[in-house]
Amino acid sequence: MADHVEGRTTKDASFARDALPFMDDVYRFALSLTRDPSDAQDIVQETYLRAYRSWHTFEPGSDCRRWLFTICRNAFLRSRESKRFEVEVDDADTEAIAAARQHRAMMDDGTDERLATVDLGPALDRALADLEEPFRSTVLLVDVEDQSYEAAAGILGVPIGTIRSRLFRARRQLQARLRSFARDAGLPLPVSDEAQGNA
Amino acid sequence: MPDGIQDIDCPSAVRQLWDYLDQELTEDRMAEVRQHLDQCRSCLPHHDFGKRFLEALHAGQRRQLMPPDVRRHVLSALGDAGFMLP
Repeated sequence: MADHVEGRTTKDASFARDALPFMDDVYRFALSLTRDPSDAQDIVQETYLRAYRSWHTFEPGSDCRRWLFTICRNAFLRSRESKRFEVEVDDADTEAIAAARQHRAMMDDGTDERLATVDLGPALDRALADLEEPFRSTVLLVDVEDQSYEAAAGILGVPIGTIRSRLFRARRQLQARLRSFARDAGLPLPVSDEAQGNA
Repeated sequence: MPDGIQDIDCPSAVRQLWDYLDQELTEDRMAEVRQHLDQCRSCLPHHDFGKRFLEALHAGQRRQLMPPDVRRHVLSALGDAGFMLP
């Protein structure tokens, strides 16, 4: 009995130390999947309950955040009756080149310089919220939660090539939104050094 | 030039730019893209824009924290499952 209590205390201590600090990250990921704060809360709760019950399977020293993201993604899929999001595997290189074309257009029409003068945060928040799944969760894992392509592929259960193509397309879509934002907001062009006679 | 590092052209650098910014290329490929960017005034702005875009995306989203009541609900559910905060 004493051993049982001691074992549970040890389990709870390691769970509190290793898993609980990532609740904000898991919530962000859940919100990216559900787009609904109430649903995200349910997914986070389900994630942590499953993680706690399966804590004996977690390998100490391994990446707990990645493990939680995987549980979270599975909890989300179960909540959607195991409906998987499948997308065609596009050519990531083509997406990268398309992104460069967009960069060029943004530099040519001055959007790049306009955006350099303002906080991109609010516009990016709106653009990210408008992204469709599975692009949003891919961006969140790699660009916000700093997961590698390989880790994101493991969490989302898709090949690395799919992560790359999703990511590059999502970034292009986000940048297109930024371009619209700059144009619609009528952000002024900054005065260049050359115009100021400082060149 | 170190072994394995080759000159690459602009299309090749642009194709690898996101992978470069994500540090997902091999060491040699990273060095090739870096070397091209050091020498190419046409590609460098693409790099700078992409870098700033990713930094803004990362910083903006990391500021979003979970509402406090979510944590309370989760801890309460864990408590029902037998978990005790040490």
